[in-house]
This record gives sequence, C-alpha cells and structure tokens, in this order.
Amino acid sequence: MTPRQYQKKEALLKVSNVSLRYDCLVLRDISFEIDDIVRDGVTQGQIVSLIGRSGIGKTCLFRILAGLIKPTTGTVLIDHDQHPVRAGDVGVVYQNYILFNHRTIYDNLRISLERSQTPPKASIEAVIKEYAAEFSLTEHLKKYPQQLSGGQRQRVSIIQQVLNGNRFVLLDEPFSGLDAIMVDKVKQLLVKISNMHEDNTFVIVSHNIDHSLAISDTAFIIAKEDGKEGAVVKESLNLIDMGFAWDPDVIRQQEFINFCASIKDKI
Amino acid sequence: MQELFSPLKVISKRTFFILAFVEGVLALLIWQLTAGELIPTPAQVATAIVGILGTDYFYSNLVQSLALIAEGMGISIAIALLVAYLSLIPVFKPVAEFVIKCRYLTLTGLIFFFTLITSNGHNLKLSLLVFGIVPFFVTSLLSVIDSINVQEYEMCRTLRMNSWRALLEVVIIGRFDLVLEVIRQNFAIAWIMITAVEGISMSEGGLGTMLIKSNKFINVENSFAILMIVFLFGILFDYLLGVIRGWLFPYTKLQLLS
Repeated sequence: MTPRQYQKKEALLKVSNVSLRYDCLVLRDISFEIDDIVRDGVTQGQIVSLIGRSGIGKTCLFRILAGLIKPTTGTVLIDHDQHPVRAGDVGVVYQNYILFNHRTIYDNLRISLERSQTPPKASIEAVIKEYAAEFSLTEHLKKYPQQLSGGQRQRVSIIQQVLNGNRFVLLDEPFSGLDAIMVDKVKQLLVKISNMHEDNTFVIVSHNIDHSLAISDTAFIIAKEDGKEGAVVKESLNLIDMGFAWDPDVIRQQEFINFCASIKDKI
Repeated sequence: MQELFSPLKVISKRTFFILAFVEGVLALLIWQLTAGELIPTPAQVATAIVGILGTDYFYSNLVQSLALIAEGMGISIAIALLVAYLSLIPVFKPVAEFVIKCRYLTLTGLIFFFTLITSNGHNLKLSLLVFGIVPFFVTSLLSVIDSINVQEYEMCRTLRMNSWRALLEVVIIGRFDLVLEVIRQNFAIAWIMITAVEGISMSEGGLGTMLIKSNKFINVENSFAILMIVFLFGILFDYLLGVIRGWLFPYTKLQLLS
C-alpha cells in the first residue's frame, strides 16, 4: 500500500497532560494532538479513533474533550485559535443516540440549526430538507425519535450536531448495537460528513478496533501501564503513513486485519 | 389454559378482558352468597345506586365534590410543579426534600391547626386537601426528574443551551407528558382524601358528607352504593386522564411501546 500525499498543518485540538481523579486516578498525563490534514484538490476532514478497553476511561476522556467536565489537571485547546474547550464547542453523539423525544425529527434538527453559531444563508426549512434528502431522512421528518430505528436516530444525532455548526463531533461507540450493513452505512456517513469541510473532525471513542481504524486517519490507544494507576495514551498511530487511511476496502485487506489483531494485543 | 397459571406469560388484551369479566362475576357471586345481615348484597347495592342516581341531592353533592377536587388539584399541581422545578436550583433543594418528608405528617393532628388558620369550612377542606396531596405529587415529580438521563442535559449544553434553556427543554417541556401521568396516578389519593375532608366539614355537602350521613343513620346499602359510585368515578377519571395524555402527547404511547 502506498501512503497518499498529505500535509499536517496547525493543531485543531490539543490535549496536554490531562489527568482525571475521582476516587482513584482514571486518566493520567494524557497528551495528544489532532492536526488539520490537507490534501491537494480534496476537502479532507479528520477522523480520529480513541481505542481502548471497556471501562478504561474513554468516556471520561470523551466528556473532557467535549468540555462537559473539567480535568483534575491539564488542558484541552481547540480550533484554529486554540482556546480552552467549552461545552458547545464540540458536538456529542451518545451511544444511545439521545434526542428530544417530545420533538419530531424536523424539530430536533430545527432547534439545533436555530442555535448554530453560523446561521445558514438559506431558510431553516430549506437546509433541513436538503440534509434530510442527502441522508435519507426525508420521509421521517414528521416522525418522533421513538419511531426511528437505532441507525436512523444515530444519523439524526450526527446531523443535529453538524447543523449546530460544530466542526468537532465526538461519537461514543458509534458501531455498537448495529448490524453489519448498518455499520457500513454509518462508516460511509462519517466519511462523507467529515469531508464536507476541511475542519470537520470526528473523534470516535470505541472498543471496536476494526471498524474504527478502517475509517480513521489517526488513532490513539488508551490503556493502562503495568502496575500503574490511570489510563494513558500508550501509542499513537498515523494510519495515513501506514497506508491504511482513506481506503474504503481496507477492512478486507489481510495486512489491515493483521494490524488490527496486533492492536487488540496492546489494549 | 395452562398459560394462565404460569408466571411471566404474556396474554392478549382479549384474554385479559375475558379473565377480568369472569373474575368480576365470580367476586359478585361470592359477595351475593356471603352477604348477611350486616353487609348488603350486590342486588341491594345496585338498587340503592339506582335510587341515589335518581335524586337531585346526589348531583348537587357530586358537583360539590368535583368542584372541590378541581380546585384542590389545581392548587396542588401548581405548588408541586413549582417545588419540583425549583428543586433543580440547589438553594431550593432542601425545601423540596422537606415537602417530600411531609408525607409522614398525620393530617389528624393538623386539623386543629388548619381550623385555626382558615376562615371557613371550604378553606379548611381545601387546605387539608392541598396539604395532603402536595407531598405525594412532589415525590412523584422528583422521581420523574431524577430518572432523566444526565446525557440529555449534556446534549443541551453541546447545542449551546444555557442551564435555564436546558431545564425548560428537558424537564419542563420534555417531561410534561409524565406530569400528566403523575397527576393521573396521584388523582386517586386526592379522590380518596376528598371524602375524608368532606366528612370533617360538612357545611357544603359533597360525596364525603353523603357517606358520613349514611353511616350515621346506619343506611348500609346507601353507604355501599356511594362507595361504589366514588369507586366508579375514580376509574372513569383515571381512564379519561390516560386518554387526554395520549391525545395531547402522541409520543407518550411510542415511549411506552419501545
């Protein structure tokens, strides 16, 4: 596999020495950086995976990245101006696809669009209809979230965050509870949306290594070191240099399968 | 047939209604056969009900009870909602906790106190009713609020809503269907209490007053008949509130199904 041509420009998200302590140390000295990836002639967003075992502290890190909780120590800086992250800077798509159950899908999207930092030039209705058509939700706009399947709700959740103007979206276990066909559709959706804007950055928090890495350009392995308290970033992986990024068929390649198996041994 | 006696078996709606009908008939039969001199038979009670329904006296008392319960419920719901919503603001949390604990205050000891501070019989009944219902309402409302997934508030924050807007969206608008369910569940307490408070102050009448008078004159058939009427009205209100909830909040049914 030949690595593709790209450049990494300025940091879009920088995590420095983040630790989190509740009763015990959950996260220890977490540091990593997500850079703006630039490719000639392509609008290239970023997809980053945070890989780790269940219960390792991924969700805590997820909430810190979203500005929903403050770390015990350390900082999270975001965007081109590298300001400290605040709630609202980063969109969140939860594992159970939280939506406003008392609102129709149209209203769920409308409320998000109305609160966007960058109001659309077209009318709200036109934008919602455009997105709904693009992501096969037109026939569901008048329905309530409970009338939709898990995959459809997840799509609404993602679009809700995108319409809110969030360039950064965190996804908590986006592949869990979905069948194989739906997993493929979600992967296509994430790639499609990430490439809609140069700054669009998805951070996937998952223990599903194969599917996460198959669409990522970068991955960080979160694990505990022997005999030490608190999870750390054990390894960072540049999947572009490895030749695994931006290839829709990578998941079927033996080299990639072997690579994923080696990662499983590390977490 | 075996399924009807096995645990965790799911039966159809039709089967349930047939079961309910058969068990109802059996209960009436047992009642008919075991009723003696003290307890009237179902036939005697049915006759008494027909007799009561034929009097103007009953309807004026029924209207009196309905007006009192509507007023009491209205005030109680307003107070309970205020206390429950304010409980999300830390400074008001202890107040809500205190109101919940008031469930353990016996009304008997408070009748004298309320008699002193109220100006007439109507206000006395209303005060007792409100004081009796509010702690139960607040308890149920707080359990609804406690059951809200914290991720719903977090989602609001990611959509750049401030905490007041999140409170409005998630708790007030988002759970209004459940408020109606709480009202439905607690209406039973109010309906039971109304006969009790009407017995304390009988000047305005009401179904409770009718019951006390029937008991006083040992008119057992009438007492049972009024009890049955109170019971049937309670079931009717329970059903109507359920229908209203489904009509006003169509997503409620979906949540129950999923």
